[in-house]
Amino acid sequence: MLTQEKKQRNWKPIIKQFEAVVGKNGVVKRREELITYECDGLTSYRQRPDVVVLPRTTEQVAEIVKICDRNSIPFIARGAGTGLSGGALPTEDCVLIVTALMRQILSVDLENQQVVVQPGVINNWVTQTVSGAGFYYAPDPSSQIICSIGGNVAENSGGVHCLKYGVTTNHVLGLKLVLPDGSIVDVGGQIPEMPGYDLTGVFVGSEGTLGIATEVTLKILKTAQSICVLLADFTSVEAAGAAVSDIISGGIIPAGMEMMDNLSINAVEDVVATGCYPRDAEAILLVEIDGLEVEVAANKQRIAAICKQNGARNITTASDPVQRLKLWKGRKAAFAAAGHLSPDYYVQDGVIPRTQLPYVLQEIKYLGEKYGYRIANVFHAGDGNLHPLVLYDNSIPGALEKVEELGGEILKLCVKVGGSLSGEHGIGADKRCYMPNMFSPSDLEAMQWVRAAFNPKGLANPGKIFPTPRTCGEAARAQSAKQFETVERF
Amino acid sequence: MTKIAQELGSIVGSDAVDQWENIEDRRRVEIARSLKAETFPSCIVYPHTEAELSEVIACAYQNKWRVLACGNCSKISWGGLVEVDLVVSTQRLNQLIQHAVGDLTVTLESGTKFADVQDILGTAGQFLALDPTAPELATMGGIVATADTGSLRQRYGGVRDQLLGMSFVRADGQIAKAGGRVVKNVAGYDLMKLFTGSYGTLGIITSVTFRVYPLPEASGTVVLTGTADAIAQALTNLRSSALVSIAADLLSSGLVACLGIGQGFGLLTRFQSIPESVNQQSAALLQLGQQLGLQGAIYSAGDEVNLWQKLGEPISASSTEPVITCKIGVLPSAAVATLTELNKIVPQSEILIHSGSGLGLLRFEANAATPQRILEMRSLCQSQSGFLTLLEAPVSLKQQIDVWGYNGNSLNLMRSIKQQFDSKNILNPNRFVGEI
Ligand SMILES: Cc1cc2nc3c(=O)[nH]c(=O)nc-3n(C[C@H](O)[C@H](O)[C@H](O)COP(=O)(O)OP(=O)(O)OC[C@H]3O[C@@H](n4cnc5c(N)ncnc54)[C@H](O)[C@@H]3O)c2cc1C
Repeated sequence: MLTQEKKQRNWKPIIKQFEAVVGKNGVVKRREELITYECDGLTSYRQRPDVVVLPRTTEQVAEIVKICDRNSIPFIARGAGTGLSGGALPTEDCVLIVTALMRQILSVDLENQQVVVQPGVINNWVTQTVSGAGFYYAPDPSSQIICSIGGNVAENSGGVHCLKYGVTTNHVLGLKLVLPDGSIVDVGGQIPEMPGYDLTGVFVGSEGTLGIATEVTLKILKTAQSICVLLADFTSVEAAGAAVSDIISGGIIPAGMEMMDNLSINAVEDVVATGCYPRDAEAILLVEIDGLEVEVAANKQRIAAICKQNGARNITTASDPVQRLKLWKGRKAAFAAAGHLSPDYYVQDGVIPRTQLPYVLQEIKYLGEKYGYRIANVFHAGDGNLHPLVLYDNSIPGALEKVEELGGEILKLCVKVGGSLSGEHGIGADKRCYMPNMFSPSDLEAMQWVRAAFNPKGLANPGKIFPTPRTCGEAARAQSAKQFETVERF
Repeated sequence: MTKIAQELGSIVGSDAVDQWENIEDRRRVEIARSLKAETFPSCIVYPHTEAELSEVIACAYQNKWRVLACGNCSKISWGGLVEVDLVVSTQRLNQLIQHAVGDLTVTLESGTKFADVQDILGTAGQFLALDPTAPELATMGGIVATADTGSLRQRYGGVRDQLLGMSFVRADGQIAKAGGRVVKNVAGYDLMKLFTGSYGTLGIITSVTFRVYPLPEASGTVVLTGTADAIAQALTNLRSSALVSIAADLLSSGLVACLGIGQGFGLLTRFQSIPESVNQQSAALLQLGQQLGLQGAIYSAGDEVNLWQKLGEPISASSTEPVITCKIGVLPSAAVATLTELNKIVPQSEILIHSGSGLGLLRFEANAATPQRILEMRSLCQSQSGFLTLLEAPVSLKQQIDVWGYNGNSLNLMRSIKQQFDSKNILNPNRFVGEI
């Protein structure tokens, strides 16, 4: 008999307090409605939240958080729920604070190239708002039409254009935060490097564990004079990888450089039917360059020549927006397409030094064969951020566990060659047990100091990022002392 | 020998410890400029390895000895005044750990001098996109601790935007690290950001990994000088044009005069790319400036290098008077107006504002300074959403005013971070914002 000593919380009075802050419509408590919130983009983990609250303002968020603080209720921020590491996964006995009604663009300052938005604003609304004036917001995750800025901030999201312009953290100037005790602080500002610790910098990428961002000041960039996308197809992944290295070491920094392997090419051709990625290619490379017309013209030639030297069969280029979008369409739909190839897929997000690309891809292939799963590869080749998509069927008992094990092997491989567990999706609930592969107890302790300063009671998004003995017992034990000595855990 | 010097000598060897009296004069003077009172540290220690540094700090931690951390002391006088028991320099931690040419990253020990790094990278056609103060002396650790870079922020961002990973010795002496050696990484908290600009108050950085860039093929700088209005208009036009500069600095007339590049306000705009692009952009901007009635010239090759070098030097270096240097920030759109106002408060001041970020430097001779004037200038910057921090100033002046000028609402949070990282308050105590 399983006798759990879990005291059941009496939610009634708490819900009353929430309703006093956000009104009855702002609180979701019916079981059927709560189902929507039981997982994020990582659908293999599910946990229904006890209550969902939908605030509209910073003050409301602060009041809700204060109620949580007073009653020691764990709370979890959620944006659009597209996260891929289980960052917004509810825990038992928790409140989910969802920013879906915080969708206002609060101010646009073109002269100083910045905008202030509420966290629920969808990523590509920012660009839409300022594009008429010749500006754009650079970080563009493939999920940009659905994911929220708050989620982007929490995950430090990247995108296909981050090679040249950087990821979310390089574009956030300041934040208004509700801390886990319900107090409101402003960090950063309208100008970078304000006096004091860079709290903005440490908050970005903290996955909701340090508090809730309720206003975000973003930098916007001037749209380049000229943009060109170049598509090259190769008969081997190695050749495409070599082209990537040559382009970078040739001193060219493209705005983005993406690669897809044969399996993912065919997946998107099936789904999007673009007809522009050749199905028989082993790999395609998409390179976007931007700048002045002279620069783009010159770099287009140079990149084409490099691709040819590395055995590219065909090279297509597109400069007008419609054609460019068409070339990108397949890449942006790659995850969705994988969903069509197989009932389920599991994405990894490891990073490796660019130069290790051919070796690592080969190893991933072996691992796939060893475990008996197909793996489609799409990745941000320019910065060595891999997205192996392991295709599987979750209805087969034990499949998920096998696939997770395979995913773990891939991550360890990334760390072994000097890379990282995650380039943009975050550690979340998914990868925290691998943190000891990359970081020593002393490293993790220093990170926990940050958490202890912001979130002393541990109420903000508990159980994420850091391994806990209870849940990662296995993984922790597998960490032999020997491994600690030899592995360069950078 | 003092007890401290003796005990630390047993860790690092006696050749790596100098008692206060034996420290070379120049360095002793520099260190003294960072001290609150005439109570001197007992010694300076130069660990040779990260492990030695770790032992030194562990020892200090046990004994509650307060430590002033430094690299090569080029910016030791910046920030708040301290009172410490010893000085620890990372100067001898100066090894290149890895230059991953194909991955465009470099990993170095923190005491490596910036100029040495640039030399190494240069042989592979790459560079660190930073232009710090005193490039010949500055160490990488010091650059990170003070977030010190200059005009290149326009294109490449600040130090924070280029630091990919680091290791450090914690206040308790343990070695820790964060980030990594790859250009994209979200595993764990971004402690690199927290340490950048933290003035050694959270830990002692022992190695850093930076993103590097390919050296541009060509470079050119357009110098425009003239009235404030015309310069402001030129800036507005530049912002809305298709031109992409890697630096665009606004200069006060004092600074323009000091550089001998014309009269009135100045705008220095640098382009780096392929030769065709540099030529095209330089010509376009020159024309734009001339249409607004500005004087203009294009600098290239050696002249250009000299110009930027001179701009980076403490401008009144030749002067024997003590100088006050402030780091300032103002909204970019208010840069010209603020500069004009600042100039009214101290007419001789040399001011430079990076027009993209609104960050800048303000310098003037100390005899022109009173606490009141500085506070006046500070509130001017604050009224434009900015700040004014005193970097370098005579000790007597620093004793009279808050050097940082932080006016936000997260001091408690900063204090609890400090408390977590350095519970005994032994690392650069009092050097930072809010007496942290
Ligand atoms: C098809 C698809 C493609 C994707 N492509 C990319 C890609 O190219 N690049 C990339 O980086 N990611 C990508 N992602 C992952 C995901 O879209 C990003 O991580 C995104 O930033 C999550 O935003 P969200 O609003 O959905 O956040 P959620 O999933 O709701 O939350 C993510 C995390 O943020 C926290 N959070 C949310 N709002 C706040 C707030 N206001 N304050 C503090 N914490 C908060 C949550 O607690 C959680 O930990 C993709 C996902 C999908 C499904």
